[in-house]
Amino acid sequence: MPNEDDLTRRSFLKALGASIALAGLDGCTRIPAEKILPFVTQPPELTPGVAVHYATAMVLDGYATGLVVEAHEGRPTKIEGNPDHPASLGAAGVLEQASLLQLYDPNRAKRVRSGGAPSTWQSFTTAMSPAALRQRVGARGTGLALLLEPTSSPLIASALASLQTLYPDMSVYYYAPLVSDASSAALTADGLVPQYDIGAADVILSVGSDFLAAGPFHLRYARQFADRRRTPLTGMNRLYVAETGFSVTGATADHRLRCRSAEMEALLEALLDTLAAASANPRAIPGKSGMSFSSSPWLTAVADDLRAHGGNSLVIAGERLAPRVHALVAACNDALGSTGRTIWYTRSPLLGAGRAKTNMSALAEALHGGGIDTLVCIGGNPSYATPASLGFAAMLKRVPNSAFIGLYENETARDSRWFVPAAHYLESWGDARAYDGTYSIVQPLVQPLYGGKSAVEVLSALAGSRSADPRAMMKESSLNAGVARDEESWSAALRRGFVPGSPVARVTAGPRPELLRSPASTSSAAGSIEVVFDRDPRVHDGSFANNGWLQELPDPVTKLTWDNAALVSPETARRLAITNGDVLLLRRDGRTLRIPALIIPGIASDAAIVHFGYGRTGAEEVAKDVGADVYQLWPTLGAFTVSGVLVERAAGTDHHDFAITQSHWTMEGRDQARSETLDTYRNEQRGVAPQGPPSSRRQLTIYDPPQRLESPHQWAMTIDLGTCIGCSACVVACQSENNIPVVGRDDVAKSREMHWLRIDRYLEGPAEDPRAVTQPMLCQHCENAPCEYVCPVEATEHSPDGLNEMIYNRCVGTRFCSNNCPYKVRRFNWFDYNAHLSETEQMAKNPDVTVRERGVMEKCTFCVQRIREAEISAATAGRPLRGDEIKTACQQACPTNAIVFGSLTERDSDMMRRREESRLYGVLSELGTEPRVRYLARIRNPNPKLEDGR
Amino acid sequence: MSVAARPTTASPATPTRESWPLMRGAPTDAALTDHLLAPLWRASRVWWLLFGLSTLGTLLLLGTVTYTVLVGIGTWGNNIPVAWAFAITNFVWWIGIGHAGTFISAFLLLLNQHWRGSINRVAEAMTIFALVNAALFPVLHLGRPWFFYWLIPYPATMNVWPNFKSARPWDVAAVTTYFTVSLLFWYLGLVPDLASARDRAPTRRRRLAYGVFAMGWRGSGFQWERYRIAYVLLAALATPLVISVHSVVSLDFSIAQLPGWHSTIFPPYFVVGAIYSGLAMVLLLLLPLRRAFRLHDIVTEAHLDAIAKLMLAMGLMLTYSYVIETFMAWYSANTAERYTYLTSRPFGPYAVAYWIMTVLNVVSPQLFWWRRLRTNTVVLFLASAGILVGMWMERFIIIVTSLNRDFLTSSWHIYIPSWVDWSILAGSLGLFGFLFLLFVRFVPSVAISEVKSLRIELANSPARSGHA
Repeated sequence: MPNEDDLTRRSFLKALGASIALAGLDGCTRIPAEKILPFVTQPPELTPGVAVHYATAMVLDGYATGLVVEAHEGRPTKIEGNPDHPASLGAAGVLEQASLLQLYDPNRAKRVRSGGAPSTWQSFTTAMSPAALRQRVGARGTGLALLLEPTSSPLIASALASLQTLYPDMSVYYYAPLVSDASSAALTADGLVPQYDIGAADVILSVGSDFLAAGPFHLRYARQFADRRRTPLTGMNRLYVAETGFSVTGATADHRLRCRSAEMEALLEALLDTLAAASANPRAIPGKSGMSFSSSPWLTAVADDLRAHGGNSLVIAGERLAPRVHALVAACNDALGSTGRTIWYTRSPLLGAGRAKTNMSALAEALHGGGIDTLVCIGGNPSYATPASLGFAAMLKRVPNSAFIGLYENETARDSRWFVPAAHYLESWGDARAYDGTYSIVQPLVQPLYGGKSAVEVLSALAGSRSADPRAMMKESSLNAGVARDEESWSAALRRGFVPGSPVARVTAGPRPELLRSPASTSSAAGSIEVVFDRDPRVHDGSFANNGWLQELPDPVTKLTWDNAALVSPETARRLAITNGDVLLLRRDGRTLRIPALIIPGIASDAAIVHFGYGRTGAEEVAKDVGADVYQLWPTLGAFTVSGVLVERAAGTDHHDFAITQSHWTMEGRDQARSETLDTYRNEQRGVAPQGPPSSRRQLTIYDPPQRLESPHQWAMTIDLGTCIGCSACVVACQSENNIPVVGRDDVAKSREMHWLRIDRYLEGPAEDPRAVTQPMLCQHCENAPCEYVCPVEATEHSPDGLNEMIYNRCVGTRFCSNNCPYKVRRFNWFDYNAHLSETEQMAKNPDVTVRERGVMEKCTFCVQRIREAEISAATAGRPLRGDEIKTACQQACPTNAIVFGSLTERDSDMMRRREESRLYGVLSELGTEPRVRYLARIRNPNPKLEDGR
Repeated sequence: MSVAARPTTASPATPTRESWPLMRGAPTDAALTDHLLAPLWRASRVWWLLFGLSTLGTLLLLGTVTYTVLVGIGTWGNNIPVAWAFAITNFVWWIGIGHAGTFISAFLLLLNQHWRGSINRVAEAMTIFALVNAALFPVLHLGRPWFFYWLIPYPATMNVWPNFKSARPWDVAAVTTYFTVSLLFWYLGLVPDLASARDRAPTRRRRLAYGVFAMGWRGSGFQWERYRIAYVLLAALATPLVISVHSVVSLDFSIAQLPGWHSTIFPPYFVVGAIYSGLAMVLLLLLPLRRAFRLHDIVTEAHLDAIAKLMLAMGLMLTYSYVIETFMAWYSANTAERYTYLTSRPFGPYAVAYWIMTVLNVVSPQLFWWRRLRTNTVVLFLASAGILVGMWMERFIIIVTSLNRDFLTSSWHIYIPSWVDWSILAGSLGLFGFLFLLFVRFVPSVAISEVKSLRIELANSPARSGHA
C-alpha cells in the first residue's frame, strides 16, 4: 500500500479538484470547507483554459511582498507583482517569481519523521501536546524554546501569545542569517528601521547599500529611482555609491567609489565633518578612525552636491554594515535636513526586533547552558546557515527533544529528532506586514501537495489544538489590522491581498550618539584581505538553493551560474598572483574555506566578496555539490565584513571551471549598448552638439522598405537602458511564462543556456574601476529578419502583425537561423530538456505555451500567447484592442518599467512616446535588420566636478 | 603473370623535359588486363590489416551516429553562438574532396587530356565515397534528422515547400545531382572493365556477379559507339557540376551576413579549394596504390607531375582568395569584419588552427615549383596529407571563428569539440577507407579499357610515347 503522505497523481488531482471547488464551484456536490477569492473578478464558474489570478504575498526575511498568482485549472503557474501593494507596485523580484518552482520541487519533504523512522502528524501532535510536553519542559515551559524565522505576522504573534499563556517561561528566538539588527540597534533599543522616499531625493549617496536590488522594499525603491530618470531632461537624480563589491546599485551609479568597510566609516566621518562644519552647530565626532578622506576630491564633490540639495538629498547605509556606520549615516541625514523628508524611521514590524534576548546568540547561550529540553525550529536552516564556529548543529543534536518544520529535509532536519514537512506559502494561510507595516494576506492557491503544515498549525498543535483552522484564525487576526468583521470587507481584503492604509506610524527618533563612540572598524593588516559575506542575488541565504531557475539565473554582476566564488579585483588578483578559477584558501580563526577565485573588475582592492547559500549538504538534489559553504568561514553572527583574513592559493594544480554566461566584458569599440552624459544629451537637444545616437529613422538604402504589414497592430518594444538596472527579474519572468527549461551546469558552461531574454553587461573604462551598462537582449523581431530567409523549411516566418514567429513543428534544427542572427538570441534544444521532469514540475508549466522538444530552435515570441489571448477577448467583447493592454512577461516583472511593449500604430501609447526621444536607437540597425525592439541610450548624470566620471 | 607487364626497356635515369611517358613498356592487351585485374582475385595481408582498421573506424562512426541520433546533438561541442562546427566542416571538406574525381574524369576528358585515363577510376571512386561521407553530415547535424526530407521539394499534403531563398535546399539539390551524375559516370566507365572481370573470373559465382553488373557488355563496335557518345554526354553534364556544387555549398555561408561568411568571393574560392583538396586526396590514395599494385608503368611521373602542377595552380588561386578576403575586410572599414579577419582569426583562440591552415595551404604547394619535387613521391605524399589537413582547418576556421566572435561581444563563446565530434570525424575517415578498400578489392582500380586504348593511341603517335 502506498504511503498516504506520498503525492500520487490521484492525490494531487484530488487536492487540485478541491482547490478548484474552493475557488468558485460552490454549486458542486463537494461541500467547500473554505473559500479563497480571486484577485479582481470572481468568475461565476471556473472556465477551463482561462487563468484566474489570486492575490497573495510572499514573506522573505520577515517582510511581505504582495503578489498576484496566475492559476490554470487550480494550479499556480506564474507569479507576478501586486500592482497596488506598496512593496511590489506590480513588479516581482527573482526570488518571488522563482518560488513557484519551489512549490513544485520534487525534493520537498513529504513525510513526518521521528528519529530515523517514518511517523505521522498525529504522533507529532500527541508527542508535542501540552499533556505530553509539560512532563518534559515543566509546567511553566522553562525548557521549551522556539526558533522561528523573522516574522511580522500578526497571526503568528497571536498564536505565540496564546502559547505563552500556556508556557509563560518558554523562550522564542528569531533567526535568519541575513537579518541584521545592526541598523535597528544603531537607532534605538526599540528596533527602528529607516524608510526612504527615493523619488523625493535629488542626490543619493549609498554607502554599501544595494537598495535597488536587495532588501524588503527594493522593488519600490527601484521604481522610485527610475521614475526620476525616465525623462532625463526633467529632474534627473544623481546617485553616488561607495561600496566594496560591485552591486546592481553600484553598476547603476553615476559615480562609484570602491572602498573597504573601514574606509566607508572614514568617508562618512569626513562627510559628516564637512556637513557639520557648514551647519549652524558643528559637532565633533567621537572615536575617529584616523583615516582621512577630508581632502578627497570625491568626498568634497559629493558633500557639496548633497548639501546643495539640502533636504532633497539622502544618504543610505547598507543594511548589514556596522552599527557605527548607521549612526554616522543617520547623523549625515540629520545634518542635511533630510530626516523627515527623504528618510524617516518606523518601528520595525518584525516580532522581537531590537531585543537582544530573541536573537540567535541568546539561543546559542541557552543551548550551551543546557537548560533547553525541547527546541522547535520552524523554517530556516540554522544547522547550515549559522557560523560554523557557533557549533549550532552539534548543540541541536544534543537537545533531547528537537523538532524541525521545514520545506526540505535539510541539514537542520538531519540534526533534529522530529521532522515535519512545512507547507509552502502558496499552500497555506498566513499574513505578514510589508516593510512599511502594510498588512498583507498570504492566501493559499492549492492544498498542500505533500501534506505540509504551516507555522500557525504547528504553534496551534503545541498549544494543544488538534485541528487548527488557519483561515478562521486569519480572519480573526485581520480584524486587528483594520478589516471589518463583515464578509464583504474580508472578501475585499482577500481580493486586494492587503489592507491599504495600514503602515505603521513614523516615529521621531534621533541617532543614538553613543554609537558614534563605538570602536571604528580596523582595516586589514598587511598580507590579509577584507572579506565581505554577502547575500547571494540568486539563492539568497541558501534557502532557495534547490531552485533550478535561480541556480541557472546568471548573477546580475558576475554572470556566474551554478556556483559561488571569491570575487576579487584584477589588481588584487595580480598581487596574489592568481587567475580565474584558481582555488583559494581563506583562513581566519583557525577556519579555512576552499573557494575558487573569480576576477571581477570594480571590486575594492584587497577585498574579497563571498556569497552565502552554496555548498549545501542536505537532501536537496539540485543544491548538492554546488559551490562552497561560506558559513564555514563566517566568524560571528551579524558581522558581514571581516578583516584580517589570510589568503593563499591552494597547493597543487586545482583549477575550477565556472559556468559563466558572458565571458567578454568590453564592447571592442562597438556601440551596441550606448550611454552618454546628461550634459551631452542636453546639448544635443538644444542643437549645440551633433546628435549622438542615430534616430530610428530608416537608413539610406537602395532596397525597398520591408513589406508593409497590414494588420492593425504592429508589435514593438522600447527598452530604456537609462532605467534598466540589470536586476534580472525579467529573465525569471520569461523563464516562468515561456516554459524555458533548465539545462544544468555543464550545458551552461558550454554556452547552451536557454534564456530567451538575457541581460548583457558591458564594462567601459579602466579595468580596475569600470563603468557598467546593462542591456536586456531578446529577439529583436527584425522587419528584415536575417533568420527568416536562411531557414530551409520556413520554420521561422513573419506574422502580419510584425512578429518574427517560430514554428516549432516545422523546425528540423539546421540552426542556420541562429548563425545568421546578429544578436544571437535564438536558443536550441540540444537535448530533450523536458524529458525527465517530475509530475509536479510539469505542473509548473504554462499551458498556454508549447513545451519544446529536442532538436528545435526557440526564441522570444513577444509573449505571443498573451497577444492572442488579448485579441480574442477583445474580439469576444466586440471592442477594439488597445496595444498597451498587453504586457509581456518581462515588462510586467520589471521593477523600473524599463521595458514597454505596444503597437507602432498607436502614436499616443507610452511605447511610442518613448520612441520620440533622440536617444532612441536600434542595435546593429546598420545591418538593415530594422529591429522592432529599440533602445533608449543610457543617460548618466555625472557631477561636473568629478571630470573623469567616476 | 604481372611479370609480362614489366617494362621491356629500362626508364632513363635522368628524365629530361618532355621525356616522361604516359605509359611505359609495350604490354599486350591481355597482359595489361591480367595485371590490372590481379587484385580482384586475391587480397594481400596489408589489405586485410587496413580493412580491419577501417572496419573498426566504420563501427565507431556507426556507434557515435546512433548515439547522436538517440540522445541529441548536445553530445557534440556545439553551442550558441557556434551552432555549426565539426559536422559542417566535415561536410564541406568531404564535398570538396569529391570534386577531384569529376574534375579529372569529365573536365579533363573534355579538354582532351590523355593522362587522365590512367587515374580517373581512382579519382571517381574517391568522389563517390567522399560524397557518401559528405551526405551523412547535413542529415546528421539536424536537430531532428528524421525530418531531413523536409528540405527536399516534394508535393506535401500541407502544401509546404522548402524555402527557396535559403541556400540549404539548393545545397541538397546540388549535392544529390552531383552524387547521381558522379555515380552514373563512374558506373558507365566501369561497364567494359566489369565485362573483362566477368570474362576472367576464376569462379562461377564471381562470373555471375560481375556478369550481372556488366549488363551484357560484349565489346562490339556498336556498343562501343553508343558507349563513347554516352560517356562524353555525361562528361558534358558533369563538368558544370564541378563548378556549381561547391559554389552552392559556399552560398551556405556567403548568403549569411556574418563577418567571415558574408563575402562575394566565396563561390570561386570554394571551388578552387575543393579541387585543391580533391587532388591532394587523389595523390594520397594513388601513391600507395601505385606501389601496392605495381602501377609504375601506367601511372608514371607524367601523371604525378601533371597533378602537382594543377595543385600548385589551385594553391596559388587559393592564396589569392585568402589575401583578397582579408584585404576586403580591412577595406570595408567595418568593425566586425576587421575584427574577424585581422584580430580574431590570426590572434584569437583558434590562432593555431589559422596558422596551420596558412602554412599548409599556402606554403606547401610552393614546393611544386621544383620539377624534382613534383615527382618525388615522398614529398607529394606528405604535401598532399598536409594540404588535406590544411583544407580541413580552412573550413573549420571559416565556420567556427566567424561564429564564435560575431557582432555582439556579449555572446562570444569558445567552441570545444567533444569526444563524439572527434569520433565522428575519425569514423568518417574509417568509412571512407572501408569503402575505398572494398573498391580496390572488387573493382578494377585502373580503367583497363581506357589504358588499353591509351596504349594503342600512344603506339600510333610515337611522339607522345616516349620510350615505348
